[in-house]
Amino acid sequence: MDYLHDGSFEGALTGIYQMFHNRARIETDQLLDAKTYQMNLWCSYEIVVSDRDQAYKVAKSIMDTFGEEGFKVVLYSYLYESSDYGTLLFKFLKRAYKLGGNAITCLSDDAIFNIYKLYRSVVRESHLMLGILRFAQLDKDIFYAQYEPTYDLTGIIAPHFAERLKDQLWVIHDTKRGIGAFYDGQKWFLQPIDAFEQLQFSKEEAKYQELWKRYFDHIAIAERKNPKCQRNFMPQKYWKFLTEKTFVLKPREADTTRN
Amino acid sequence: MEIFEKLEILADAAKYDVSCSSSGSERANAGGLGNATKAGICHSWTDDGRCISLLKILMSNKCIYDCAYCINRLSNDFPRAEFEPEEIVALTINFYRRNYIEGLFLSSAVTRNPNYTMERLLMVAKRLRTEENFQGYIHLKGIPGADEKLIREAGLYADRLSINIELPTTNGLKLLAPQKDRQSILSPMKLIKDQIDQHKYEKRNKALFVPAGQSTQLIVGSTNETDYHIVKLSEALYNKMSLKRVYYSAYVPVNNHPDIVPHKVPPLQREHRIYQADWLLRFYGFKADEIVNEAHPNLDMLVDPKCQWALRNLHLFPMEVNQVSFLELLRIPGIGNTSARRIMAARRFGLVSYESLKKMGVVLKRAKYFITCKGQYFGAGDLEPLRLKQMLLDKPKQSQMSLSDLYPEAFGITTPNHAIEGETYGLLT
Repeated sequence: MDYLHDGSFEGALTGIYQMFHNRARIETDQLLDAKTYQMNLWCSYEIVVSDRDQAYKVAKSIMDTFGEEGFKVVLYSYLYESSDYGTLLFKFLKRAYKLGGNAITCLSDDAIFNIYKLYRSVVRESHLMLGILRFAQLDKDIFYAQYEPTYDLTGIIAPHFAERLKDQLWVIHDTKRGIGAFYDGQKWFLQPIDAFEQLQFSKEEAKYQELWKRYFDHIAIAERKNPKCQRNFMPQKYWKFLTEKTFVLKPREADTTRN
Repeated sequence: MEIFEKLEILADAAKYDVSCSSSGSERANAGGLGNATKAGICHSWTDDGRCISLLKILMSNKCIYDCAYCINRLSNDFPRAEFEPEEIVALTINFYRRNYIEGLFLSSAVTRNPNYTMERLLMVAKRLRTEENFQGYIHLKGIPGADEKLIREAGLYADRLSINIELPTTNGLKLLAPQKDRQSILSPMKLIKDQIDQHKYEKRNKALFVPAGQSTQLIVGSTNETDYHIVKLSEALYNKMSLKRVYYSAYVPVNNHPDIVPHKVPPLQREHRIYQADWLLRFYGFKADEIVNEAHPNLDMLVDPKCQWALRNLHLFPMEVNQVSFLELLRIPGIGNTSARRIMAARRFGLVSYESLKKMGVVLKRAKYFITCKGQYFGAGDLEPLRLKQMLLDKPKQSQMSLSDLYPEAFGITTPNHAIEGETYGLLT
């Protein structure tokens, strides 16, 4: 039987609850996202309605059995946005409950490793993003960062910036998913962003962008150019939002602000 | 001179310093700006593939010294510039707020005298910490010859202090940097080490003192030192001075000087092998004499140092991955710290299979010759060291390799052994 959840984390965990409740089998049963489900005549399916209590019970059980680290693996691998997530998670949990407390370290097991792989990719990109996210100062002294991560990272990188940039207002905007993290000087929260007005940059912004760009060009040793190595660490798909690679404000404007 | 030009000149002047790490410090943010994360964060990668973590600049490049290896030497005809402390503070804060950098790495040429220079560096760090409430990473360079009091005060504001040794041998120092002496480099290093130990010992003392430890830099390939000199010196620095890192910088010929001896081996490749040896010292439980020794004073450029060691000690292999200890796993070529830890963890659930080793990050193309898995050997039978060495080479290099590379003795080519008269191996002369 195919179980279909609504694509949310809560929905996936509810699905897990019901599969365990119905004694689903890893050989025959799947947990899939209803939005991308390909229906055919012979399959039987059941729609899972997200249920906060059931999802909470699953989360608590994961937390109690595998600890916070274990729950982190489950959550991060969800953010990978894999269409197989539900089924992989079901297989993972079936196996992990058998193996016990530190099941996530049993990487020689396929069911464990498949979820671990997703987790690892998300961890990697989220760490990279802590470095290569770029803020620009708007005229109202709000720092605005735009990015399009491969995975849904906004919720997991926001706490880092809330701690680090404690005394400034900022927004991290994922334009691919239309979601933003806002920090108001006290706490941060996630909110969908549909449309936004034309951004006005502060007077100083162009100057610092150009300073940064010049610094970037001059700190490299020209005799040792190694573009392949550079792209290895910083794949080109991220360059679009990097101040040093694409000058966001026109250099002409920058000229007027310096004296 | 405007700030744009200054930044260009003083970034150019700083780029040959290789240190750029921002790890090892944990500084909490109490309402101000910034913090330091234990793992460190890279913020960009330059066109030469090196990471940018810190804003790495010189405060000034108006040097009074005339060291032959250095681009900022007095006798170079070269644009000179000097930052004011408030300019550096503004750059750091504004770059940090835009998430361009993890902090500041401030160094300087020696202007006027060592004390004056150190005072200026200290002024910037002090302002960032006390006036701007900045808790990001600060790496300051210790100026050899500066007063002890200044070094000690700098340690209270900086996350890391470093004093560069630059030339690995005393003779090299005499030759290329006659105005510096070994003692003026080593004594502040010792001072920092003692202060760090003292702050750790006095638990009641809450003030941080250089929480990310100290580091240094060695230039590779400007004098005729051997790899044995370098590795042995690093080992002494790690053991006796408790350094966090020793950086190696392949010499870039910025000056023409008769005393600079170009090494036979391409400097970047040599730097790479020395870094690998350095990792073996720090994370793999190797001793310097196991990696290189007086009989073989130079590293082999064809295979990595761990493979070199394994080829000299074939009687220890193959090892059974399901049986040997963690430290023994670390000695197997193709198995690193992470994969060794994963193997240890997975072993608690049962025997590890050969197929699953790949998933755990083991580089099987090297490891397979040195392991058995559940008693089975997957390598290529009983190989003599030289045949095995050929198997271990990276693929593209194999085609370029000539017979004389593999059998240097047969072709009458021996690795140059620069024995340096009167030079001792290790730290103190």
